[in-house]
Amino acid sequence: MRSVSLLFLISIVLSNDQIPGADQKRPILLRGGTLHTVSGDVLEKYDLLFAEGKIITIDERIQPSPETDVYEIFGKHVVPGYVAGYTRIGLTEISAVKQTNDHSEVGDINPNVRANVAYNPDSDLIPVTRSNGVLVVNSAPSSGRISGQSSVMMMDGWTWEDATMKHPAALNLNWPNMNFDFRKNIKKNEKTQRAEYIETIRKIDHLIRNVRAYHHRRNAKERKAEHKQESDLRLESMIPFIIYKEPIHVKANDIRQIEAAVNWANDQDLNIVILGGRDSWINPELLVKNNIPVILLGVQVTPRRRFEPIHLPYKLPAMLHEAGVHFCISLNPGYPMDGHVRTLPDEAMKALSWGLTEDQALRSITLSAAEILGVDEQIGSLEPGKDATFFIAESEPLTQTTNPIKAFIQGRELDLSDRQKNLWEKYKEKYRRLGRLTE
Amino acid sequence: MIPRSIYILLVIAALRAQTEPVKDIHRNDPRVWALTHAMVHTEPGDSIKDGTVIIRDGQIEKVGRYIQIPLDAYEIDMEGAHLYAGFIDGWLQIKKDEKVKSPDDHWNEKIRAEYRAKDDLKLKEKELKALHSIGITAAHVVPEQGIFKGKSDLVILNDDMVSVAKGVSQVLEFKTTGWSDRGYPNSLLGVIAVMRQTFLDAEWYLRSLEIFEKYPEENEPLPLNPSLSELGRYHANRLPILFMTKEEHSALRSLKIAGEFNLNPWLLGSGYEYRRLKEIAEFNPFIIFPLDFPNKPKVNDPHIALQFSNEQLKHWDMAPDNIKKVFDADLRFSFTSGTLKNKKDFRKNLQKITDRGLSQDIALAALTTYPAEAMGVNKTVGKIQPGYIANLVVTDGNYFDSRSRVTSIWLAGKEKYISERHKPIIAGKWELEIDGNAYDMEFFVPNTYTKTEELRQKALTTNKLEGKIKIGDETLNLIDVRISNKVIEFKVKGTLLDLDAMLAFKGEVKKDKFRGEVYDGSKKGLSFNAKRTVSIKPIVREKEIASSTVLYQPEGAYGLDKDLLSPNAILIDNANIWTCGPKGIVEEWDILFVNGKVDKIAPDISVPMGSALVIDGLGKYVTPGLIDCHSHSAASSINEGAQAVTAEVRIRDVLFADDVNIYRQLGGGLTTANVLHGSANPIGGQNAVIKLRWGSGPEGLIYKNAPQGIKFALGENVTQANWAGTGRYPQTRMGVEQVIRDAFRAAQDYRHRHKTYERNSKAQRKTIPPRKDLELEALAEILEGTRLLHCHSYRQDEIWMLTRIAEDFGFTIATFQHVLEGYKVAERLAEHGAGASTFSDWWQYKYEVIDAIPYNGTIMANNDVLVSFNSDDAELARRMNTEAMKAVKYGNLSEEEALHFVTINPAKQLKIDKWVGSLEEGKDADFVIWDGPPLSIYSKVQETWIEGTRYWSIDENAQLEERDKTERKDLIQKILSSKTSSYGKEMKPNGQTPQHHHNCLIDDDDLMGM
Repeated sequence: MRSVSLLFLISIVLSNDQIPGADQKRPILLRGGTLHTVSGDVLEKYDLLFAEGKIITIDERIQPSPETDVYEIFGKHVVPGYVAGYTRIGLTEISAVKQTNDHSEVGDINPNVRANVAYNPDSDLIPVTRSNGVLVVNSAPSSGRISGQSSVMMMDGWTWEDATMKHPAALNLNWPNMNFDFRKNIKKNEKTQRAEYIETIRKIDHLIRNVRAYHHRRNAKERKAEHKQESDLRLESMIPFIIYKEPIHVKANDIRQIEAAVNWANDQDLNIVILGGRDSWINPELLVKNNIPVILLGVQVTPRRRFEPIHLPYKLPAMLHEAGVHFCISLNPGYPMDGHVRTLPDEAMKALSWGLTEDQALRSITLSAAEILGVDEQIGSLEPGKDATFFIAESEPLTQTTNPIKAFIQGRELDLSDRQKNLWEKYKEKYRRLGRLTE
Repeated sequence: MIPRSIYILLVIAALRAQTEPVKDIHRNDPRVWALTHAMVHTEPGDSIKDGTVIIRDGQIEKVGRYIQIPLDAYEIDMEGAHLYAGFIDGWLQIKKDEKVKSPDDHWNEKIRAEYRAKDDLKLKEKELKALHSIGITAAHVVPEQGIFKGKSDLVILNDDMVSVAKGVSQVLEFKTTGWSDRGYPNSLLGVIAVMRQTFLDAEWYLRSLEIFEKYPEENEPLPLNPSLSELGRYHANRLPILFMTKEEHSALRSLKIAGEFNLNPWLLGSGYEYRRLKEIAEFNPFIIFPLDFPNKPKVNDPHIALQFSNEQLKHWDMAPDNIKKVFDADLRFSFTSGTLKNKKDFRKNLQKITDRGLSQDIALAALTTYPAEAMGVNKTVGKIQPGYIANLVVTDGNYFDSRSRVTSIWLAGKEKYISERHKPIIAGKWELEIDGNAYDMEFFVPNTYTKTEELRQKALTTNKLEGKIKIGDETLNLIDVRISNKVIEFKVKGTLLDLDAMLAFKGEVKKDKFRGEVYDGSKKGLSFNAKRTVSIKPIVREKEIASSTVLYQPEGAYGLDKDLLSPNAILIDNANIWTCGPKGIVEEWDILFVNGKVDKIAPDISVPMGSALVIDGLGKYVTPGLIDCHSHSAASSINEGAQAVTAEVRIRDVLFADDVNIYRQLGGGLTTANVLHGSANPIGGQNAVIKLRWGSGPEGLIYKNAPQGIKFALGENVTQANWAGTGRYPQTRMGVEQVIRDAFRAAQDYRHRHKTYERNSKAQRKTIPPRKDLELEALAEILEGTRLLHCHSYRQDEIWMLTRIAEDFGFTIATFQHVLEGYKVAERLAEHGAGASTFSDWWQYKYEVIDAIPYNGTIMANNDVLVSFNSDDAELARRMNTEAMKAVKYGNLSEEEALHFVTINPAKQLKIDKWVGSLEEGKDADFVIWDGPPLSIYSKVQETWIEGTRYWSIDENAQLEERDKTERKDLIQKILSSKTSSYGKEMKPNGQTPQHHHNCLIDDDDLMGM
C-alpha cells in the first residue's frame, strides 16, 4: 500500500502536448470520497477501488491490498465522466478552416463513412473538453441526408483505435425540412416542395429495400458462382442498422419532422433516436409510446417561436422527464459551437435550475447518454464492473465553478493540462518578467 | 398641403390632335354630350338625383338637375345609372425602367432622382382594361428602380396617356439587396445613410450652383448632376417625397427622415399603420393604400398553424380596419389596386372596409378628391363639376356595393364600354293577361340552384328560372323558360286557352312589365301583357364587422396591453444588495428608489405608510441592471459591408423595438445594451446604446445619456478570409491598417477644409462651400474625442496596431471587443487605457481565435485593464450573470468582481457609469431582484426595473404567457369559423424567430460580430 498525497498528483501543467494516460498498472483505492454513482445513491465517505481500468468494488470501507495505491479524497467528489451525445470532436480543429474539417463528406447518401477513422487523437479540442469532465463523446458526421456512422470515442489515446469505445454508434440521418412555404407567389409552390419531400423519403425507403435485398442475396444459401452479389459499401454499411436494428440518429427539430420520423421508423421497423427534438414537448406521448429516446442539442437556447414561453427550452428536459421520455443532453455542434462541448455541464445545470431533478440532471449527461449511445455497460455510472472512467473534483459536480482535479479513462490517468492552461502559464511568465505579477 | 408648383397640364387630347399630322383622313367624333336622368355623385357627400351632365370637348360644361341641354349636345338617357368622377389609382408602378445612361448620372446608380417614370409607361391592353373595369380613369405613375427612384406623374389612362400632373412626387424605397450586391448600399443601414447624405448633397448642390452662377471665375466648374438638382428642387419647394413602406417600422423610419429634412412626406402604405398610428399621425403624411388584405392564415393543420405568429393572426383580423383608423387619426389617403393580381378584388376589399365602418363618402374621396388635392389638381380632377376633366365612372348601382357593375367609363370626354348593365330580375310573381283574362304567373329559381346561397344568387341575377301559371286549381308549368337580355321566352300547354296545342310566348321586358305575342302555329297576333305583382327581395349580404382584438405594444406575444408599474417610490426591505459601487455587498439592508433614481441605501430606511411600493427583500438579492457591451438584438440591420468604410451608417436608424429578445433579455436581468454594427468592414457604423424599454418605439429605446460611438473591426471578417469574399480592399491585416490610417487622414483634411472655409468670409460668399460628409464627420468626431471607438479584434498584433494608430492621432480607443488575445498584450491595453469587452470562454471557431483562453478576462483585469463580458448573442444576453461566473471558474475572480464584468465595468466602458452600472445614490433606478446569489445558475430573476419602472416580473410573465395562449386559441377559432375571405397577399409565416447563435454566421444579409 502506498499512500499518495493528492496535491502532489495534480497534473503538472507545464507539459507541452498532453501525453495519453498510461495503462493502469496498480490498483487504486479512492478513500472517503463522495461518490456520485448516478445508477444509485450519492454515497458519502465511501471507498472506490479500481484496477486494470475497471471499477472493482464500492464500499464504505475497503481494505487495500499491499500493491494498491491509496488516494485520500475526503470531501472530494467522484463523478462518472460526462458523455456528450453528439459532437464533432476529433473531426474538426478550427471550424472556419476547411482543411481541418472532416465531418462533412460530399453527397447526400454516405452511410458508409465512419467517424472514428478520421478522429484526430491529438486534437487540441480533446484536452480542453475533458478539462471540464467530458470524458466520452459521440463524434458524428453531419452533412447530406445520410451523413455516415458516428463513433463513441474516449477522450484519450495514442491512435483512433485506442480511443474508439464503440463503432458504429449510430447511423446519422438528417430528416428533410418540412417547414413548407405555402404562399402562392413563390417559385417553388407548396405542392412541389411536398413532392420533393416525398421523393426524398421514397429514395431513403428504396435504399433500405436495397439493403434488405443485398443482405438477402449475400446470405442466400443456394447460389451459383456467377450469381454472386457484387459488393456495395453503401448498402453493406447499412446492414447493422436495417437488418440488426442498430440505432439510427435522426436529426429532427420540428414537430412535423419528429412525427414523420417516428412513423417512418415504425413502418420500416427500425430503431431511431431523435436528435435535436426542439419541438418534442408538443407530442411527448408519441415518443414514450414508441420508446424513442431524444438527444437534446442544447438547453440554453432561445425559443423557436415568439409566442412560446420564454423559458421553454430551459424547461424542456424537465417536461420530457415528466412525460417519461428517455433523453440526454448534448450541444448543437457547428460553427461556432464545435469547441464548446466543454460547457455540457452548464446545460444540465440550466435544466436542473428549471425543474429537472438533481439526479436526472446529472444522469442526463452521464448514464442516460451512455444508454442512448449503447455504452452503458461500460460507462455512465460508478458501478463495479464498469470502466474506471470518472473524474474527481473538489466540489459538487453540478456547480458552476467545479473544475476536475483528476480524471481517469479506463483507469488511465489523464493529463488535465491543455492548450489554454499552457497559454495561461506562458503569459503569466510574461507578466512576471514585466514585474506585473508576483506569484 | 397642395404643392403649388406642380405643372398642371390642362391639356386634353385635342392638343395632341392639333400637332400630330393625320395619317389617313380626318376623324372628328362629336364631342358634345348630355348625360341625362342619372344619379350624379358630383363629389363625396353630394349628389344629384335625376341629374344631367353636359360634356363638351373633354371637359364638363354643366351639371345639374334642371339644366337646359345645349342644342348641339346629343342626349344619352342614363336612367338607373350612377355617375362618379373618374377614380384615381394612387400607385401604378412601371414594369421596366429603360432609363438611358448618361455621364451626368449620379455616381451611385441607385440615385436617379431626375428619372421620370412616365417615360417608360407601357400598359398592355389587358392591364388597362382591368384598371378601367374597376373605374380607374387616372393613375399615379411611379418609377421602379433604385433607392431615389425618380419622379411620378398623374396620368389619364386614355389613348394619349395625358399627364394631368407632372412630377408629382419623388419616390424613395428602402431597397436592400443583401450580400450578393456589391453596390453600396446593400443594407437597410446603408440605404438610410444614403438617403440622409443625398438630401444633404442636394441642398449643398443647389447652394453651390447658385454661387457658381454668380461667381464662375472664382470656382472650379461644378459637374452637372441632374439627380441632385432635381432632388434639391423638390426639397427646397417641399414637394412630396413618397416613401415606400413595408410595415409600420419603415413608416416610422421614413417619417424620421422627413422630420430631419423638413420634407413633405407621403407614404405608400403597408396596412400596418394602425400599430404605430400615433407616431405616424404626428407627421401628417399622405398615404397611398394598396387595397390588399392578408388572406386567411392556414390554421386548419395545427402544425402549420405554429408557423404563424400571434401578431400575424391578429393582423389578419385587424388589417381591414386599418384605413378607418388612419382616417380617424385625421390623415388623408388614396387607394391603389397596384398590388392586386386580380383587380376585381379591389371592389370586394373596398366593400370590406366600408362594411367595417369607413363611410362611403370617405372611400369615394380617397378615390377622387383626396388624391386630386394632394397632387394639386383638385380644380380639374376628382369631381363632376364645370371645368373638370370629363373623367367619369358609370355604374348600374351604388359603386360601393360590389354587386353593382361598372358599365362604362368616360376618359376626357370619350366613353369606353366596360360591361352590360345588370339584367332585370324576373323572378317573382306576375299577372299575365291575355285576351282580357288574368292569370297568376310565377318565376322562381329551380331546385338545382338552391343548394347554396351563392348558386341561388347567381341563378337569380342571370335569370336562370323556371315558372308556372295557375288557372283556378290547376297549375301549368312553363316549359323551356329562356330569358336572355330583355327577351323572355317560354311555352305553356294549350289548356291555358282551352286549346289542344303548345303555346309559345315571346316578349320583351321593360322594368316591371313585359309584353309580347303568343304563337301556336296557327293563330297569329294574339298578344299578352304581364306586370309584376310581387318582386323577389334581394338577398341581404352579411356585413363584416370591425375587429375587437386589442392591440399590444409592441404587437404580438408578450406585448403590453396596459401601463407598466411605475410608482414614485420603491423600497426594498432587508435584501442582500450587491451594489457594484463603493458600498460593495451589504446584507439585509434597505434600498429606496425615488423618481426613477436610487435615493438611499442604508441598513434601515423607513418611509411614511403608502408613500412607496414596499417589496420584501428578505432572502432576495438586488443588483444593478446588467449591461451587455456587445449586442445585435433590437436592430433590423447589422452590416453595411459594401464598402470598407461606412462610418455614416447608424444603428439608431434601424432599431427594432419589436424584437422579442428585448423581452427575453429583461427576463435575464439585462437593462442596457450596446447595439453594435457588425464586423464586415474595417470601419463599420455607429452604435446605439439602448435601455431595454419593452413596449416603447425605436426612439424610446435609445439611452440619451450615452455618448455616441462607432464600431471598427479587424482581422478575418474584414479581410473576408473565411468565405469567397467580394475582393473588396483590404484583404490583409496590412491593408486594414492602411484603410484606417487613410480614413483618419481624410477626416483631418476634411475638418481642415471646413475650418478654413468657416474662417474666410469672402470665401463663404464667393466659393462653393465644402460639402458635408457624414462619413468623415463621424471619423472626425473620433479624432476629437466625442465619438467612442469600439473595435472588434482578436489577435494581439492588430490590437497593438490600433492602439498605435489611436496614439498617433491623439485619441483613446474606448473598447476592444472580443479581444480574445488581449491577455497577451494586457500591459499595452492598460497603458493605452482601452477597455476590453470579451467573451467568457469562446474559442476555436476560426483561426484567429485559436489562442483564445477563458482566463483572458481575469488576466486583463489583474493587469489593470477595465474588463467586461459581452454576449454578441441573443441567448447569452439573457444569462450574462452565469457568463460572469465563468471568470470565477476559470480565473478565480471573486463573485463580486465578476459581477462588475456585466454591470459597472461595461458602464464605464460606454461612459455611462455616472448613471448606470451600480446602485449608488443619484444613479438610475435600474435594478434586478433575484431569488438567490446573482451569479448562480440556480437563481432566477424575479423583477427587472428600469428607471423606476418595472419592465419584467416573473408573475407578470406567467400572466402574459397565459393571455397569449388564450388569445392564440381564440384567434385560430375565429379564423376557422370565419366565412368571409380577404383578397390579397398571403402572409409569409413568421412564427419562428431567427436563431442567431453568436451572430457570427454569414447568412443572407448579415455578417455579424464573432
